[in-house]
Amino acid sequence: MTAISIAKRRVTEAPGPTRRRKHRSTTAPYWFIAPFLILFVAMLLVPIGYALYLSLFRSQIIGGQVFVGIANYVQAIGDSQLWTGVGRVLLYLVIQVPIMLALALFFALALDSGRVRGSRFVRLMLFVPYAIPGVISTLMWGYFYGHDFGLIAQIFRAVGLNPPDLLSAQNVLGSMMNISTWQYVGYNMIIIYSALRAVPVELYESAALDGAGQWRLAWSVKIPQVRNSILLCVVFSIIGSFQLFTEPSLLNPLSPVVINTSYLPTYYAYNLAFINQQSNYAAAVAFILGFSIMIVSYVVQVTTQRRALRG
Amino acid sequence: MKKRSAIITGVAGLAAAALALTGCSTGGNGTATGGATVTQAQITKAMNTHTTITFWDWAPGLDGEIAAFEKKYPKIKVDLVNAGQGGTEYTKLQAAVQAGKGAPDVVQLEYSELPSFVVSKSLLDLVPYGANSVKPLFTDGAWADVSQGASVYGVPQDSGPMVFMYRSDILASAGITSAPATWDDFLTDAATVKAKTGSYLADFGPTDPEQLVGLFQQAGAKPFAYDGKKTVTIDLTSAKVKSVADFLTKMFQSGDVATDPAWTNDWYQGFSKGQYAGWIVGAWGPDDLTGSAGNTSGKWTAAALPQWSAGQNSGGNWGGSADAVLKSSPNKIASYEFVKYLNSNATSAAELNSNPKSALFPTTISTLNSSAFTSQTADFFGGQAYNKVAASVSKTVNPSFQFIPYWNYAQSEWGDTVGKAITARGDIYTALQAWAQVLVTYGQQQGFTVKQ
Amino acid sequence: MTAAGIAKSQRRPRKDRKSTILTVALWTCCIYFIAPFVWLVLASTKNDTDLFNTFGLWVGKTFAFFGNLGTVFSFENGSFGLWLLNSAFYAVASAVGAVILATLAGYAFAKYRFAGRRAIFSVVLGAIMIPGTALALPTYFLFANLNITNTPWAVILPSVVNPFALYLIMVYAQDAVDESLVEAARLDGASEFRIFWQIAVRLLAPVMVTVLLLALVSTWNNYFLPLIMLNQSTLYPVTVGLAQWAASSNAGGGARVLFSTVITGSFISILPLIVSFLYLQRYWQSGLSTGGVKG
Repeated sequence: MTAISIAKRRVTEAPGPTRRRKHRSTTAPYWFIAPFLILFVAMLLVPIGYALYLSLFRSQIIGGQVFVGIANYVQAIGDSQLWTGVGRVLLYLVIQVPIMLALALFFALALDSGRVRGSRFVRLMLFVPYAIPGVISTLMWGYFYGHDFGLIAQIFRAVGLNPPDLLSAQNVLGSMMNISTWQYVGYNMIIIYSALRAVPVELYESAALDGAGQWRLAWSVKIPQVRNSILLCVVFSIIGSFQLFTEPSLLNPLSPVVINTSYLPTYYAYNLAFINQQSNYAAAVAFILGFSIMIVSYVVQVTTQRRALRG
Repeated sequence: MKKRSAIITGVAGLAAAALALTGCSTGGNGTATGGATVTQAQITKAMNTHTTITFWDWAPGLDGEIAAFEKKYPKIKVDLVNAGQGGTEYTKLQAAVQAGKGAPDVVQLEYSELPSFVVSKSLLDLVPYGANSVKPLFTDGAWADVSQGASVYGVPQDSGPMVFMYRSDILASAGITSAPATWDDFLTDAATVKAKTGSYLADFGPTDPEQLVGLFQQAGAKPFAYDGKKTVTIDLTSAKVKSVADFLTKMFQSGDVATDPAWTNDWYQGFSKGQYAGWIVGAWGPDDLTGSAGNTSGKWTAAALPQWSAGQNSGGNWGGSADAVLKSSPNKIASYEFVKYLNSNATSAAELNSNPKSALFPTTISTLNSSAFTSQTADFFGGQAYNKVAASVSKTVNPSFQFIPYWNYAQSEWGDTVGKAITARGDIYTALQAWAQVLVTYGQQQGFTVKQ
Repeated sequence: MTAAGIAKSQRRPRKDRKSTILTVALWTCCIYFIAPFVWLVLASTKNDTDLFNTFGLWVGKTFAFFGNLGTVFSFENGSFGLWLLNSAFYAVASAVGAVILATLAGYAFAKYRFAGRRAIFSVVLGAIMIPGTALALPTYFLFANLNITNTPWAVILPSVVNPFALYLIMVYAQDAVDESLVEAARLDGASEFRIFWQIAVRLLAPVMVTVLLLALVSTWNNYFLPLIMLNQSTLYPVTVGLAQWAASSNAGGGARVLFSTVITGSFISILPLIVSFLYLQRYWQSGLSTGGVKG
């Protein structure tokens, strides 16, 4: 069961004392939630509604705005550029997310096992890239990726190897994955690690008494205990993948032919709105995107829940 | 400055008259009313009123000229903002114009972008403000770039006559002592340089349509036209375009020139380390290399472009920009007076263009002809009188060249079509047709009448 | 184990054997995470020519750090300093706003039963799934229509609504705020707001700090939202400003080749966050465990 569905379950269980208070009706909770709720509606629901409205029109440089119904959505469904970009995100999801989370889990378990010297320092070093704005990490890695004179190419040549072109059509998505991995392994590691630290000691002790080694302890005691944290990481990583914008937009000057305007969907929506001046179509694309992410996240939650029930 | 040139030729008188009418706003302080010319009294009043002019420009080194203007008109303050270069700035301007706020009073626009803002009716026609009085100061080409029929939408700030700059030391070590006279010579030299030194004679980036468009212009082709209203012409099938495109295909396929994206970290290092022995670029180009490839200073020589046939003397243009006044500006008179002063006042224009930091190649006749300008030597070029080379090229540039009113889009689509072909060293002519098709479709979607 | 319990218990004593293989493996991995920082520090001491002519992980021929520093802060009339201030302002305003809103609402969801509670909470929770970037464009269209783009509000308001923060605080509050304390205060005649202010806030402080840090980092690092919302250089946060400087180096055209300036600016702008990470690490741990661990 996922973290979020747990919260749903929990919120429906009324805490004992509040039930007693039932007849003493109060407006206090409404006052408490009002500020959040008002801004929530204004900053989430209204923009979504407005985008939906905009997406039903089409505007021209010559001729102005006309109502076109679902024409923008029909166009989007047939827009191979959009779907190629979505395909890249899915590739990203099946490659980068598992790698990153496996690394995060490994680091968290290793640090939690207490068998690493200087673990405080290691933990910090892994986590620090999270503090770096995506803009800066992408700029830095951009310097490393250059085919002729980038740092990685320099190192390859120094040891007598032929450097790979990390910005080529085959490799650039992988290069972006590397940036996200570098940046977010530590963040995910901290989430999992924090959960590991909270696993009750008794569970370890009984397993240790059974003679379980570190690997078995990790596999059969620790990981099940932190399953929800891992799922939280999965859901956030999925959302993050769809949002990729900084990487393509800042790597674009370095590899302008490969990273075209529709390379990844969010970048495409941005270019549609600001370069192509097709804001109505951009609104439709943004709407489709938001919707697809919700579906993917939901599917992930449901399937993992089912697996949890089976297991 | 930078890339791109466009020359918007004078079109039919009727269209012009219509534009002149829409170009004039009505009423308000510091505004020409009903198409009438602004009077001297209005100008005097405006220039003695406390005013702040917001000016978007990305060219470095304008501070001195602005200070001189502010000294002359103490009531007027100019707020110089770098809103990003090229596309970044246009995107911001487009957004500001659409939002109806946040736009500056004065903006630097490359000539190729002017039509895009003329079509959105964002720019002020400067004729009622007296623009025609400064017309004789500028080259015909530059003035054509800012004119649309009888209207004038900007004052030229700089231009980009294309030169071939090369590393004379690398060429000499390949046994080449003079710049190639024709493009065929260029190709031969490229093969020699590659074979003997390993360097490329030039790099043609896959994302700079105006570099190749400048070569079309040099060959006398006119791929684009815009009538200032609804009609756009896109013709990339002419014999002249085809012969240039076929040459480019041959050149790229020879493997003797590089096709790396320009202005990347790697590309700068390529110049710094001698991977590229030359560059075909607008006159503003050298300034890009003086810092990052400073170690190569003194080893460069500049020459006119190779010619399409022997004995010809024809130039292309890449870049150049004007300063335009926004129609939304509340300070129209002061803004026009400012751009006029900045770009046409004899002292200011001369200073602007001789300022080595600004990289603005002049558009005023007096500067281009002044010996102080043409005799100026450049250390980067080993003491060569660089300005003289570029100035003589600027007189050979074909002035009747136009762009389409959605050039920003055209540039972004270039990479996906022609850019891909350049990188893959494929057929350029075929790729140009694909690009043209995208532009036609987009133009029609946007409500233009597109002629092919 | 409860969330509150987790935050308090700094668990079991360590007397495990150290493993050399594991230690070597992890320290090796650290190289990958640290190398870019080493490069950044070294690169910020080089001028453009050295940057392109000397090995990235070694010093250059000249030491240009102070020169670069001067350029960073003086270029374009000191825009960079302003951008840092803007970033700090946006980050603090958004984070404080997010914490206040989320704490009020999270507390209410955890501790009261009221009509519509379940429905509202489901909607808010579902919103965690809406990616900020996909939402940013619609928000931009709306703000452009309302004419509030190109103001600080355009960056702050969307960042103040943080459903995940609400969720973290709600989960934490369920256990951390003791019912008996609340009831006792009620019997003493304290108002609901006073109970919140004097009892709940104190108990929720740890998770509030975590939420504050999360929001600070995400706003400080945000690029897309300010990029589309802001048009005016004086309003930029440091991310957008640096990206624009970087873009101008890559745009070419006789303009500004600013590589070492951008690099030095990058170095300076990450310092505040790194320092705060070093000092506030334990808050990350305690707060982030709350969200996932339950179940």
